[in-house]
Amino acid sequence: MSTAPAAPVPMVNVQIDGVWLQFPKGTRLIDACGQAQKFIPRYCYHPKLSTPGNCRMCLVEMGMPKMGPDRQPVLGADGRPEIAWIPRAQISCAQDVSEGMAVRTDSPMVQECRKGVMEFLLINHPLDCPICDQAGECRLQEFSVEYGNSSSRFLERKVKKPKSVELGPRVTLDAERCVLCSRCIRFMKEVAKDDVLGFVDRGSFSTIACHPERTLDSNYSLNTVDICPVGALTSTDFRFKMRVWFLKETKTIDINDGLGSNITVGTRENKIYRITPRENNDVNGCWLPDSHRLNFKFIADPARLTTPQVKGQPVDWRSALSITAELLKAYPSQAIAMIASARMTNEELFLCSQIAKTLQLGDRVDILPRTGEPDGILIPADRNPNTTGARLFQVAAPQPGARLPSIADRVRSGSIKVLICLEDATKCGLTPEELAASKCTVIAIDILPNATTRLATVLLPGSGWVEKRGSMLNLNDRLQRLNRALTAPGEARDDWEILRDLLLALGGTQNPATIESLFQWMASIHPEFSGMSLSKIGDLGSPISSMAALPANAAQS
Amino acid sequence: MKIPSELLAKIDEAISHYPVSQRSASLPLLHLWQEHFGHVSNEAITWIAQKLDLQPINILELVTFYPMFRREPAGRTHIRVCRTLSCSMAGSYQLRDEIAKAAGIDIKQWQADFYGNPHGDAEKSHSPEKLTGHAVHNSGHGSPVAVSADGQYSIEFVECLASCGSAPVVMVNDCFKENVKIAEAASLLSLQRSDATLPKVKTPHPREKRVVFANIDREGWTNDIECYLKAGGYAELRKALGMKPEEIVNEVKTSGLRGRGGAGFPTGVKWGFIKHGGPKPTYLICNADESEPGTFKDRYIIHQDPHQLLEGMIISCFAVGAKLAYLYIRGEFPEGAQILERALAEARSRGFLGKNILGSGFDCEIYVHRGAGAYICGEETGLIESLEGKRAYPRIKPPYFPAVLGLYQCPTIVNNVETLCDVKHILRMGGAEYAKIGRPNNTGTRILCVSGDVQKPGYYEVEVGSLTMGELIHEVCGGLKPGRSLKAVIPGGSSAKVLRAGEKFKLKDREITLEDIPMDFDTLAACGSMAGSGGVIVMDDSRDMVETLNNINEFYAHESCGQCTPCREGSLWMKKITDRMLAGGGVSNDPKVLKNVADNIAGKTICAFGEACSWPTQSFLAKFGDEFSARSTKDTPPPMPPEYTSEELASKDHIPAIPAPRNPGRDTMAEAATR
Repeated sequence: MSTAPAAPVPMVNVQIDGVWLQFPKGTRLIDACGQAQKFIPRYCYHPKLSTPGNCRMCLVEMGMPKMGPDRQPVLGADGRPEIAWIPRAQISCAQDVSEGMAVRTDSPMVQECRKGVMEFLLINHPLDCPICDQAGECRLQEFSVEYGNSSSRFLERKVKKPKSVELGPRVTLDAERCVLCSRCIRFMKEVAKDDVLGFVDRGSFSTIACHPERTLDSNYSLNTVDICPVGALTSTDFRFKMRVWFLKETKTIDINDGLGSNITVGTRENKIYRITPRENNDVNGCWLPDSHRLNFKFIADPARLTTPQVKGQPVDWRSALSITAELLKAYPSQAIAMIASARMTNEELFLCSQIAKTLQLGDRVDILPRTGEPDGILIPADRNPNTTGARLFQVAAPQPGARLPSIADRVRSGSIKVLICLEDATKCGLTPEELAASKCTVIAIDILPNATTRLATVLLPGSGWVEKRGSMLNLNDRLQRLNRALTAPGEARDDWEILRDLLLALGGTQNPATIESLFQWMASIHPEFSGMSLSKIGDLGSPISSMAALPANAAQS
Repeated sequence: MKIPSELLAKIDEAISHYPVSQRSASLPLLHLWQEHFGHVSNEAITWIAQKLDLQPINILELVTFYPMFRREPAGRTHIRVCRTLSCSMAGSYQLRDEIAKAAGIDIKQWQADFYGNPHGDAEKSHSPEKLTGHAVHNSGHGSPVAVSADGQYSIEFVECLASCGSAPVVMVNDCFKENVKIAEAASLLSLQRSDATLPKVKTPHPREKRVVFANIDREGWTNDIECYLKAGGYAELRKALGMKPEEIVNEVKTSGLRGRGGAGFPTGVKWGFIKHGGPKPTYLICNADESEPGTFKDRYIIHQDPHQLLEGMIISCFAVGAKLAYLYIRGEFPEGAQILERALAEARSRGFLGKNILGSGFDCEIYVHRGAGAYICGEETGLIESLEGKRAYPRIKPPYFPAVLGLYQCPTIVNNVETLCDVKHILRMGGAEYAKIGRPNNTGTRILCVSGDVQKPGYYEVEVGSLTMGELIHEVCGGLKPGRSLKAVIPGGSSAKVLRAGEKFKLKDREITLEDIPMDFDTLAACGSMAGSGGVIVMDDSRDMVETLNNINEFYAHESCGQCTPCREGSLWMKKITDRMLAGGGVSNDPKVLKNVADNIAGKTICAFGEACSWPTQSFLAKFGDEFSARSTKDTPPPMPPEYTSEELASKDHIPAIPAPRNPGRDTMAEAATR
């Protein structure tokens, strides 16, 4: 990376609806108009994909500076170039702004074009909005209202096309609703690198299809549903589940890997219906892997842990925490270890580090690393969302997970007698039998039952990632924010509150009442966060520039 | 899958013609496969994709786009009957039925089976499940093939076969038959000899000036290189190689030659766009995808004088610095492709092509690339996409101007067959001398292709502007049929705006009638139409203009590539409206809607197909509005059956598609729409 400041992009003057504005060279005209608050409707144009210019919805009236005999622009009374308007409407999606260019985004000619295109798009459309999943977020509906006709002139039979086609395991096609914008085809080819979709047939009968020997089974297939401007491609999982306008949308981040893709969680009445990517060009662009977005069913698992338990008996939180503290105090530090989790927020990991400090755990604390093959698109090798945070707060070994074998050994040998588990310990080098045989006292904070929680002396039900607030640091040291989309079930609590109360019970002195004050406490100790607050992080996160260099991590990529 | 070694050898040979991208070999491989196995099976799609290192969908996209590819076997004798305007005016609908009868195919029954109703109208079908069987997949992208029970014969209605002057025309396998009489229908089934290469002698009309067509239908003329050399062939190539490329470009600029493909763009100016010495190679493509209904000039050059074209091409390659050129010939000219292949081999063996041509140090290679029945490939960027092995979707301009970002994103010149032939003559005469032929800004000769209701339809090469429309029709073409009067003329291929007899056209200095219009680019444009590709379709007072427009609409609805919205949806909509008018279901608002639909297409599309499909509608309505009003008298439209029956909706999880059902013709429409 060069430290020299980037060369400034030259600016060009563009007249939009009579107003001269400046845009950096290379800006697409359609985007320039959008920046000037003159939104241009579009179906096929997507800033992340190639530009076929096929939907013709973004037609505008365009002009270029009138050139004099000296090949210089003729200037008007205002000193600005006079405009020679092109008689034919031009698409604004395939054109970069240029010096002296002028557009009219709402002239009678443009209105006529949009009206015409809207009508063409609708004549063979089934108009089945009442049962269409896209209804409420459909560009056909939106632009119909703004630019369409109030009645139909089409007296003919509509073209019949395939309906309810399972293009792949997760995507269903209704070809009659398709406007043939080719966004899905281009996405699969250009972004997902799996040229699986194409057009078959011709003219008005053209249809999106897969070759019969292939299916749309890429791990990015559901992105085609996101970018489909109409109800042609729908998510088989979400299909017919919920009207989108009832969904409460919460901006948060994905926790399935170290990238921390920005997402929107759609919920209604404390239930998740879908997760969609949220555009963040510094993180995930517009995309999200299917595996990640569909990994939310566990939140609504009926087996969720909802009550604190001691030796299998439900107890109240106060008792559970005081029993935990007593247990911990009853053993010397050397007999205690903690398996923290890189799925936890910075705030939670910070509290873990404070607990570790209080209990003088030394090197008897680590996280469970999760790694896999990077997919070359979005998914990195590190499948934990906050390895960076865990390492920053030193609740992970410099090589995360490196201390787990020794912790496991000491559990087996009986030298560790209390294990604080924020992960399933039986995935950290101990078999359930070994853990059971060790007679180790397990204090587990978790959301779903597993081999460790079943052996836990104290079981403290925590919250899922969509049920909590907090921050995480992705692999690129970007500080991002989780927001609460749901409330945790039953008596389950936010993990930071559990850890705070445990710390207090262990003799801690700080008692942050809110996550904001916890963040301030954290920031006061860790200068990386100084000047930040949860609200300052913003929806798109912010890079932590003062991050101290952490030792190289093999899991990072 | 057992692939015979001869076929494999041909396949590898075909791939070698595309050193830049083997994807370009998709169409050639599909042709080779279909020629050998009779159809393109699913296996073929997978095999070809694998061979070319593509995804199977890449090939499936092509098979379903190009109508010549069949996914099910046709009959051992496959008969293509031209459905388009000039042929239908000459009775091709009846001819199709007669041939079917002779072949033992019950067309009505077949339509009933195919479309699930006896009206042959897929879109009114109540039984989509019937369409999932054998017949549908047979349909390719939508031109259904009727096969006789014994598998001996099959019939397909196809769009323009580019021989409108000898309508109606039929292709029996690869053999071509012109001027078919209804009575000859049965004899067609055993047709062995093709009319395309049949020696004919036709003396030029005194008003003609033969330049490009000097050797066409000439006594004693053959299409081999000996004959061509005896007549002084390839002398201009020798001359050209002694010149500087810029000098040739300048000669062509001086000549004032305008492209003969339809748009009339100055050829020299087009060549001037090529920047020499850039990092990318330059390509030249000969557009021999002659397919504008009413136009049939290139076929004669290709069949009878291929070396003239090759010489023009090699000179042009030298002028623009292209070392590799493709000759994109429409799929329906299989004999033409063979003739050109042979001519190329001859030229290569004589050193006119290949490495170090005639010792000049200039290397040039030309390959023939066959299309497969898609009109849109005549659009230059669509042609380039097709040549790259893709669906022929025209590209947006900007940024994809062929001279900058053409074939394989390299500078590319695309010229029409006639234009490239003219280059040879410009070199022979010199640009200034050539410019003396014709009129200022309308130089040279033009091959006018006359079809429809005249006594002597056919091609006539004339000096541009030397004839008026009236002289062309009444003098050169022998006038109208006895007792008939002139009603209308489409002057430049079916997309040109129609001109009405009796109309007055205001020019700058005078007012003229249809008969007075000189046949040049500028005057025809001033009269609100265009010289286009030179296809003049004459209609006398026996013609129903709604029917005529419907025929044209069907052509464009069938040929719309479907890429951009207005043309994709509008072309079929216009056809459906005229269908309904003809069937007696026209409502009073129809002419207005029809015109507005056309207005909403023209000027809003990626390529000029938008204009091509809307200009007929706009002009027919403007000029013959009364005929359309007379067909649009109903207050309410005829009732239509529901799109899906309630039983279908209740009983099925899945409603199968109808792959591109195509109404086989308006003759099957009437009953359905008026019941």
